[in-house]
Amino acid sequence: MLRHALRRLLWTLPTLIGISLITFLLLSFVPDPTDDPTFAASLSREELAHLRRARFLDLPRFANVSPVDVRIRAARAVRAVAGDDENAEEGRRELQRLGGAALPHVLPLFDSLPPEQRARLALSLAPIARRMGLPRSDDATDPARAVAYWTRLWDDRGVEFRRASVRSAVNRLERYGSSNRITDLIELDTFALDNVLGALRAPHDHASVERSRALIDVAAHVTGRDDRIALGDDLATARACVERWQVYWNVYRSDFVAFTGPARLAAVLLETRYGKWGLSAVTQRFGRRLDGGAVLDELARRAPTTLGLLFAAIMLAYTAAIPLGAISAARRGHRLELVIACVVLGLYAVPTAVLAVTLRGVFGPDAVRFLAAAVTLSLALIAAPTGQQRAALAETLTTDYVTAARARGATITRAVLVHGLRNALLPVLTLAALEAPMALGGAFVAERVFELHGLGEATIAAVRERDTSWLMALSIAAAGLAAVFVLLSDLGCALLDARLGQATMNRKGSA
Amino acid sequence: MKTSERDLFTRLAQSRRVLVGFVLLGTLTLSGIFAEIIASPAPIVAFGRGQVALFPGIMRPASYEVLTRAEIDHRHDGDVTVWPLVRYGPIAPTEAGPNAAMSLSHPLGTDAAGRDLAARLVYGARTALGLSLPAVLLGMILGVALGGLAGILRGFWNERLLRLVETVDTFPAIIVVALVRAIERKPSALSLVIAVALVRWAEVARLVRAEVLHASTKEYVLAARALGASPLRVFIRHILPSAIAPAIMSSATGVASVVLLEAAMSFLQMGAPSREASWGETLAEGASDPTRLRLILLPGLLLLITVGGSYMLADAVREAIDPRSPKARPRPDENP
Repeated sequence: MLRHALRRLLWTLPTLIGISLITFLLLSFVPDPTDDPTFAASLSREELAHLRRARFLDLPRFANVSPVDVRIRAARAVRAVAGDDENAEEGRRELQRLGGAALPHVLPLFDSLPPEQRARLALSLAPIARRMGLPRSDDATDPARAVAYWTRLWDDRGVEFRRASVRSAVNRLERYGSSNRITDLIELDTFALDNVLGALRAPHDHASVERSRALIDVAAHVTGRDDRIALGDDLATARACVERWQVYWNVYRSDFVAFTGPARLAAVLLETRYGKWGLSAVTQRFGRRLDGGAVLDELARRAPTTLGLLFAAIMLAYTAAIPLGAISAARRGHRLELVIACVVLGLYAVPTAVLAVTLRGVFGPDAVRFLAAAVTLSLALIAAPTGQQRAALAETLTTDYVTAARARGATITRAVLVHGLRNALLPVLTLAALEAPMALGGAFVAERVFELHGLGEATIAAVRERDTSWLMALSIAAAGLAAVFVLLSDLGCALLDARLGQATMNRKGSA
Repeated sequence: MKTSERDLFTRLAQSRRVLVGFVLLGTLTLSGIFAEIIASPAPIVAFGRGQVALFPGIMRPASYEVLTRAEIDHRHDGDVTVWPLVRYGPIAPTEAGPNAAMSLSHPLGTDAAGRDLAARLVYGARTALGLSLPAVLLGMILGVALGGLAGILRGFWNERLLRLVETVDTFPAIIVVALVRAIERKPSALSLVIAVALVRWAEVARLVRAEVLHASTKEYVLAARALGASPLRVFIRHILPSAIAPAIMSSATGVASVVLLEAAMSFLQMGAPSREASWGETLAEGASDPTRLRLILLPGLLLLITVGGSYMLADAVREAIDPRSPKARPRPDENP
């Protein structure tokens, strides 16, 4: 039994991934503000590219066959600068932005270039030398000495451009945090970014704020992105700053890192829109909502209201439905059956909105409104289980053992309660677990009318604002909950009915 | 016609519930289809000035939408015209102003935006049924095909298909609708139909699969297979006739649930605002102003009729096809 449950639980994982893939595919067609031609026309080309990049719209959806890393970007920029064509200026800016991370891919190319191209390239690297704060960096701006300067630099310091040495430099900075260590890292320029920003954690006390401040100082210096933690900043401000840097790094990491070996394989999947979403889902609590809060926190805050509402409504509905179904099964063909059927059907057919608006007179504390919403919702839910109960019980009442009991003189009440209900209850209870997803729409309506702050309110807002991260999270949560409910109902049935349990096991075993 | 089928039809024809359900749903469907005859700013037919204009409101809708009542009267001055019952369309605000009381020209008054309520309700039937009937039909076709496949296939794919059916079946339809609404720039009925059908098929598939599994152990299926019939032929000729009944029943209830879903969706005002008439939208209007009870009661009543009608049909079909139901065979004890 336990094995079966675990196995099913494991199977929900691929199901959830499948759901997330399909939902993501759907939501990738959500129109982006930058798709709007009038808005796009109001921006410059760089601004537009920047905006689209921040939303990962430059990436493919699910598989990036040729992920662009620092090597490819550097090679492109070198070609532009060396060729001295119309893109040369852009290439120079790109090289300056890529900085130290590009050096291991640019400097070894020097030997393969003709002298005048080499000189142009070396000159265009001058701003990096200044940024790195190296001694005699003025040499890099001198056309006569620039090539020699960079060749010597690479001979002297090329060994430092290794991950291991950066890692230990960052470790030293984190542990001792002095200005000397900062200089060490700045001399490596953007090559150190991966380790510097990778070491960034959300600060939780004074010491960790200081650590983050040192790391961010390095990152801000080499990227020219002036977003630092000031000396007297409190914890919340520091956290927000760290978070901004993490978001930045999530977007721009591929510009400063070379994908080699397994990293290249991983990049095929991770350097995609889905990969970026998945990463943020895992590391950043399902991403940010438009108002800045984490999606998962908001989901956790709102879900209890909606789930509680659903649960209460289903409980209420079943409490009413089981006796109603039993009565109408026992009184087949009587007027009472007809009355029950009409009332129940009427309650089902009246839209939840109408009931809710009629009952809305209830104004009071949250608990009262919650109860009113639950009652409203439950009224519509009575019909299905009543019908099911009636059908199941009616079937049981035609079985031989009930006929035998009746023949021995048992009253119809006894036949229903003792012989019928016990067997007829099972299919009805199975239905209960599956009721929640179907009732969700009604729950949204009830929430809205009774002004409860549940998932419905947030979802309507998300649809209006096209907040994809909320819709992704909601869709996955719904599928996950539904899977758990199905599992619970299966297990419940297997526990209640030994024959069924055996059957479930056998089916699984043979499949 | 086979005896069993004739039997089924006789039983259906005798059922009072079938009659009531048919009349209710039929009236609404017809008024949805022929909405232009009931409510339209343009005349149904106009003879005059040597020409005959049949349904000018459908042929040239733009030319009537912008005109006021007086201008339309002036245009057809001297013509022999047959006017619709309500001389207003569902979209343009009328000169009676918002929340006008019932009158001869506005049999049900106007809504909060000054549009004729009767026209909105009639065109709302078109929206509700025009969405739910195609969606349910599409869902049924998908469901029968995939459910049959799930019943016939064995091994790996059977398991996968089963899991898929289970997942889709338990996925809340309102979330699918929300996703579709988020994608659209302009709300369109077609995408909603597809979205709803993509959720609805699972229920049908589940039922059909159970029937197929049940039937494939029967002697007549074994006999057909022994005679060399292909699995497809066995499915279509021998299994499908008995498996289609639960699918039809589930689809009849499906109409009700899709109509309610559409109402809930318009009530919640998900997605971009739409000018289309919809019962749910009228309900939302009524909900924002509780003094206009008409705006809640009338669309509520129409929803009740739709849902009740389809439910009655479904129930009657179930009674008729279920061999164990008391109607199908003489009851052992009529009077306990």
